[in-house]
Amino acid sequence: MVKITVNGRVVDADPTKPLIRACHDNDVDVPMYCYHPGLSPVGSCRICQVEVKQGDTPGRVMVACRTQPVEGMIVDTESPKAHATRRECLEFLLKNHPLDCPICDKAGECDLQDYTYDEGQAEGRSNEPRRPMEKRKSLGEVIVLDEERCILCSRCVRFFEEVPKKAQLTVSDLGSRSTISTFMDRPLSGNYQGNIADLCPVGALTLKKFRFQARVWNLVKMASTCVECSRGCSIQVEVLRGSDVKRFRPRANEKVNGHWMCDVGRFAFGHANAEGRLEGARILEGVTMLQFPIEDGLCAVRDALMATKGALFVLSPFCTNEEGQALLDLAKRHQGEIAFVAPGPNALKDDLLHTGDPCPNRRGLTELGIAGQAPGDLLKRIASAKIAIVAGERVVELLGTAAVKGLPGTVALYAFECHPVESRALRCEIGIANHVERAGTVVNVDGIRGPLAAVKPAPRGVRALGRHLEDLARLSPRKETASR
Amino acid sequence: MVIVKRKELSLSEKLYIPEVLRGLSVTFRKMFEPKITRQYPEEPLVKTDVTRGQPRLVVNENDTIACVSCGLCEAACPAYAITIDGGETDRAIEREPVRFDIDMLRCILCGFCEEACPKDAIYMSDELELADYSREALIYDMDKLKRPKAALQKRIDYVNRINTRWQTPSST
Amino acid sequence: MSTWEGFLIALVKTVVIFGTVVQVAALMTLAERKFSAWMQYRIGPNRVGPFGLLQPLADGVKFIFKEELTPDGANKWLFRAAPILAALPAMMTIAVIPFTPDIVIGGRNFGSLAVADLDVGILYILALGGLAIYGVILGGWASNSKYSLMGSLRASAQMISYELTLILTILAVVVMSGSLNLREIVESQPTVGHWHIWTQPLAFVMFVVATFAETNRHPFDFSECEPELVGGFHTEYSAMKWAMFYIGEYSAMTMMACLTVVLFLGGWSVPFWESAPWFVCLAAFLAKTSVFLFLFLWVRWSLPRFRFDQLMRLGWKVFLPLALINLLVTGALVSLF
Repeated sequence: MVKITVNGRVVDADPTKPLIRACHDNDVDVPMYCYHPGLSPVGSCRICQVEVKQGDTPGRVMVACRTQPVEGMIVDTESPKAHATRRECLEFLLKNHPLDCPICDKAGECDLQDYTYDEGQAEGRSNEPRRPMEKRKSLGEVIVLDEERCILCSRCVRFFEEVPKKAQLTVSDLGSRSTISTFMDRPLSGNYQGNIADLCPVGALTLKKFRFQARVWNLVKMASTCVECSRGCSIQVEVLRGSDVKRFRPRANEKVNGHWMCDVGRFAFGHANAEGRLEGARILEGVTMLQFPIEDGLCAVRDALMATKGALFVLSPFCTNEEGQALLDLAKRHQGEIAFVAPGPNALKDDLLHTGDPCPNRRGLTELGIAGQAPGDLLKRIASAKIAIVAGERVVELLGTAAVKGLPGTVALYAFECHPVESRALRCEIGIANHVERAGTVVNVDGIRGPLAAVKPAPRGVRALGRHLEDLARLSPRKETASR
Repeated sequence: MVIVKRKELSLSEKLYIPEVLRGLSVTFRKMFEPKITRQYPEEPLVKTDVTRGQPRLVVNENDTIACVSCGLCEAACPAYAITIDGGETDRAIEREPVRFDIDMLRCILCGFCEEACPKDAIYMSDELELADYSREALIYDMDKLKRPKAALQKRIDYVNRINTRWQTPSST
Repeated sequence: MSTWEGFLIALVKTVVIFGTVVQVAALMTLAERKFSAWMQYRIGPNRVGPFGLLQPLADGVKFIFKEELTPDGANKWLFRAAPILAALPAMMTIAVIPFTPDIVIGGRNFGSLAVADLDVGILYILALGGLAIYGVILGGWASNSKYSLMGSLRASAQMISYELTLILTILAVVVMSGSLNLREIVESQPTVGHWHIWTQPLAFVMFVVATFAETNRHPFDFSECEPELVGGFHTEYSAMKWAMFYIGEYSAMTMMACLTVVLFLGGWSVPFWESAPWFVCLAAFLAKTSVFLFLFLWVRWSLPRFRFDQLMRLGWKVFLPLALINLLVTGALVSLF
């Protein structure tokens, strides 16, 4: 650690990291386009220039991302000289950047827009038209490139070189016609393409799935955790008007995912937005399932548990630690057996983030003392049990929808699921909230706890599994069944 | 502090009656003066250049909507009356609204949307009447909001005129 | 004239008089709105019927079909009785007002157009007029609302205070004409020169002001002072019950206008035509009454409301001594000459 002075304040700086990092760590705002904390600095955009004095030398304007902090360095980020230099850089960047903000998906979270507003560069001095370029260049299944908007920071190029370590993009052509392109115009491949849309400081690279879907300032954003594999990447869930999850984006977390996430997790909002949710409770009356209030469903579960000892509790690996604990307590109280569905690894495993394990909370549930079991074995146990309770998001899907449907009528099946369950064995099913509608914690493969946040409200008549279990524990055994 | 001195009343003022009669004579004379009431449905409202009615969407001469669903009016709307969903088109400007709702029950006709619009796509028309039989019918969708540019030209000209008073046109 | 005929004639007179009073009350609501509109450069109601003439009818229909609300904690019976009590006295006192001299049609004398020709007409009017305060007080008290209560208390204080002035000024006229019978009072002023307005100018002015206070009209309408008391004593009233208060108020105005004409303007006497036929006399009476009715409206839309303490000061410190002195002087002069 070395001591440097930033804007008159003496701070500690890590000499192995660039000066801009020291500034950012100490809440000093320095704009950046080509620099990214997760990538190697190149100093191509020159927007991070600050005035640096060392010893007796007069102040010099230097790029903060390519300067190493040295003991005694005096940095002024707001000096007139630094500002003037940055303004000139900005003007050059804006020379060919189209005034697309109204239709640009980046507007609202665009570094170029923000800094242009800060500097008040509203009017251009150039009378020449901007260079026309390809506005809609598809770079594979995930990404669209708008060449006009690109400011050639090369973050995307460096990302493929440094993170998946397989270069796919390059800056081609010369001069003002320079553009980002893939080698031989091959579409991008791999599980990490989506990251370059987040990386892009302007709106040049956009996600096809998010394109024109929402204005970013309308999105409610909350910190959460990805549940698509046991890595548990820290993510930000972004919801439009309290109903549609529009984006999952990585949240910087050095311990887990750095700055990245995989495309599987990024586009996994199909589950979160799925229609046809199970609302309230449905109870078997004669031969048909009829809609009832939640309390009646809980009473039915309670009555079944009271009547028959030795129930089999089958959890979903998506259950949070809190839900796991509550179910464990319930199972103990009723002398039941408990296990969670643990499908084997899938083919998505890679060296970077994806673990290939589809059970996001395998470690957390195991630490609680709940054993994971393959779906096939669990199905056999369910079939031989008198009464089985399956609980958690996607539990039926993981057990096998067809297999659950074919369960013998001898077992009484009670389900807590997001979606209606089909089974001959089904006696009662109660709707629960999914992973963007409830709070909780999950433990990832390395034992790091990640939060789940209730970003959007659950549909009407749907509550979190934890709430159901609380009420179930509270329902007194002596109390009569609520009137049907 | 200002101390206002009470006016010293004269005898006739203290007696009330002469002053009362004076007041009565004023109102009596006013009874025969011309009336200013406007018989509304028969006599339409006067629409001038500055008439700021309900917001309407501009449809260009080539039948395309000028709006690019940037959401600035939605953000500017103090009454949260506007809801926009964007979508992609094949036109040069890639974005256009697939849903543009103005809840006219919420709209306070402030004209912030008109001011916010970077594409000159929403203008306060000279349409003033706003009545219907149900709340749903007053949530105007795009079809109800679209107006040919010619119908809004008066307001467009007016806004351009007052804007150029303090704005220099940008080269961009 | 047989009993039957007498009964029939009395019935016809009663129906005509009461029908007219109720009609006048209804038309007054329209007149109120029309005149106020004209004074404010407006047109006023003009949609229902020609010139809005059917507006009172439309209002009546509306009142009948509106929801009747009774506030929580209200005394239900008194709450219902109050509007009736407010409307009745004014209608009943009109019974002794003589509108015409003896009606002679085809040589037959049908008597004066009055329901009753009481020798104690003035006392009857004062006695029943004193009851009008009950409607206001009960309405305010039974509503179980502080606004209503305040309004009714003010109204009662004000009506009692001004009743003194009213009585004393009437007494001055009674002294002048030497009778309590209204017909005889009218007959005591056969020509313009005999009108009591000339012999009792001070009494006339005070009487007119007191009628405003007695009927709770502007500028003395403290019982329904909107800025302070929402609606005053009828804050909690709705629909027909509320309308009854208004019928009462307008009937009282009509009644007071008639009384003023009888006492000070020679009743039916036609200026400069002493032997005018009865229908001309009736027209003259109605014309004079209309002037005073218009005065009620005119004042309302011209003058600002008094302050309550000003009203009380005026009543007790100015009018009462003046009325007493006036009566004393009148009495002295009458006994002397």
